[in-house]
Amino acid sequence: MEALFHGILMLFSLKTFFVIVACSFYGLFVGSIPGLSATLAASLLVPFTFFMDPLPALCSIVSMSAMAIFAGDIPAALIRIPGTPSSAAYTQDSFALTQQGKSQLVLGTDILFSAVGGLMGAAVLMTSAPLLANVAMKFSTFEYFWLAALGLSATVMVSAGSQAKGAIAMCLGLFLSTIGVDITLGYPRFTFGNVALLTGVSFIPAMIGVFGISEVMRNVSQRRMDFAITKVKTRGIFAGVGHLFKKYQWNMWRSGFIGIIIGILPGAGADIAAWIAYAASKRASKEKELYGKGSIEAIVDAGTANNACLAGDWVPALVFGIPGDSITAVVIGVIFMKGLRPGPMIFEQHPEIIYGVYFAFILANLLMVPFGWLAVKVSSQMLRVPKNILVPIILMFAITGAFAINNDEFDIITLGVLGIVGYFMERNDYPVAPIVLGLVLGPILEHNFMMSMIKTDWNLLLFFTRPISALLGICTVAMWLFPFLMVFLEKTKDKKNGLKKNGLA
Amino acid sequence: MGKNDYIGAGIFIALGVFIWAVSFQFPVLPGGHPGPSLFPRILGTLFIFFSLIVILEGSRKSKTPPAPPAEVDEGGNVTLIGEENYFNAVLVIILIAAFIALAPHLGFIITGGAVLFILMWKLHVKPLKSLIISAVVMCMIYSVFSKGLRVPLPHGFLWW
Repeated sequence: MEALFHGILMLFSLKTFFVIVACSFYGLFVGSIPGLSATLAASLLVPFTFFMDPLPALCSIVSMSAMAIFAGDIPAALIRIPGTPSSAAYTQDSFALTQQGKSQLVLGTDILFSAVGGLMGAAVLMTSAPLLANVAMKFSTFEYFWLAALGLSATVMVSAGSQAKGAIAMCLGLFLSTIGVDITLGYPRFTFGNVALLTGVSFIPAMIGVFGISEVMRNVSQRRMDFAITKVKTRGIFAGVGHLFKKYQWNMWRSGFIGIIIGILPGAGADIAAWIAYAASKRASKEKELYGKGSIEAIVDAGTANNACLAGDWVPALVFGIPGDSITAVVIGVIFMKGLRPGPMIFEQHPEIIYGVYFAFILANLLMVPFGWLAVKVSSQMLRVPKNILVPIILMFAITGAFAINNDEFDIITLGVLGIVGYFMERNDYPVAPIVLGLVLGPILEHNFMMSMIKTDWNLLLFFTRPISALLGICTVAMWLFPFLMVFLEKTKDKKNGLKKNGLA
Repeated sequence: MGKNDYIGAGIFIALGVFIWAVSFQFPVLPGGHPGPSLFPRILGTLFIFFSLIVILEGSRKSKTPPAPPAEVDEGGNVTLIGEENYFNAVLVIILIAAFIALAPHLGFIITGGAVLFILMWKLHVKPLKSLIISAVVMCMIYSVFSKGLRVPLPHGFLWW
């Protein structure tokens, strides 16, 4: 109880509250600019969190990400370009309704259902995380190995496009994590005599490079990007939304649940939650024909799910140290940077920080209503910020931020190299988020695997003898076999169809 | 699936082979068990395996036509022109390299200001406007990081 009050007191201290408010506006700004993602915003925020206490550092990411995911809905509705990938699922519907003169209803719905979705996620985080932390206390190296393997496998499974490319991106992240002194014998691997590489690839510059520099490169290589912006009147923006709460009450609960489950699943983020909620909504809807042509029901569902997902993403990150998505990969980096260790022990050793994070989610989602209203009010001005000025400034912040972590020029080299890698991989349809997840989970995976192997005298079967370990192991192996099974089933189906066509069956 | 996929897969196969080659130099654990080399070798194998799948996928699928460079909606409200100016992407890397090389000599403000000015100018911001924005932004970043957060930013001969 004492920790609870301490956490709330820390949250409402002037410094932390100021950080939350400032980062909320930062999130609203970045989220509403098409082409700049919440992950980029989080990675650029990290150098600043380096100089903050643990709670404000974590709260800054909570408030920024909640606002950015909502703010992505604004350009989706006004110019048919999603501000962040999380709004992509219902962009067509939002813009179609705007063209029908219902932009106020769309944006009012976006604000309120995003806030409610976020609050639902926060409630589940508050109730499930401590329970799971109790279970996680019983985990040994076997379970942690399988959890990391499961998280990485899920990342590959949900990656857009070719899963083989997702797997290559994950391997690249894992390979980068092997650079530096090895954990078993202290032998320097892949350092080639470079002292700066002995401690491994610096996570923060690598992350800013993969997400930030690659986005800068992509943005500067676009020749032109013009759009006409619809102005929105904010007076009466919430009129009619109350009726939607009554009409789509069941949708809201269902999508909140989908968002939270997708969030808890390691590796899948708000964008996937929105797509799945959209698909589920369409399947269950009585007005299927409106989907893609201006369905407010679709916006209710997907808008609730993507914000509910955010808090869900924090569950595996806080409880197991396994990121739920790329933003929580950043969070784990920040937690380590603050000298803490994500996992069940953080609930015992620093409960005040955990309570602070819970209430930061509630506060951020409550602030979303007035701040979101304000963002809609100034949306036409925000969308007019020239990108040819904004992008060079982002580049300069990325360079300075990468340098500020260790005051080392080598980090800027890491930033540039990973930026080039991220840019070329994205251009060739390789997802880049698995690189960062591989980099974060690589040490957990290798450390727990080697520890387990050494203590069992290299008996692989012992990975399946403990009940939870066996369950996680079976889930992981099933996930690996799933794509091959699908190919086999497709081939069998084709063969049957071929035989039927030829009249042989 | 185009030519780039085959090149990409080739690069990752080469990386897999390279990892295997380097891992032979790593020591083994007592009892002859693999130690530091185990994980890199697994990864090297996975790079080769998944790259071969990418090649296989490429050879199975027919070549898809390239995406149209512009997307214009019915009302003509949105105009998106695809990625065309690759020089600017290369320029970003050149500017980062120039920053690393020159910042210790010219100092953070001058080098960073030059980086900002050149990039803005290349992105068609008017020279005078670029100059003013670069100066203001660099002073702001310097104040935040150097004065506010006490980061020892590189200072050159002018001590900036």
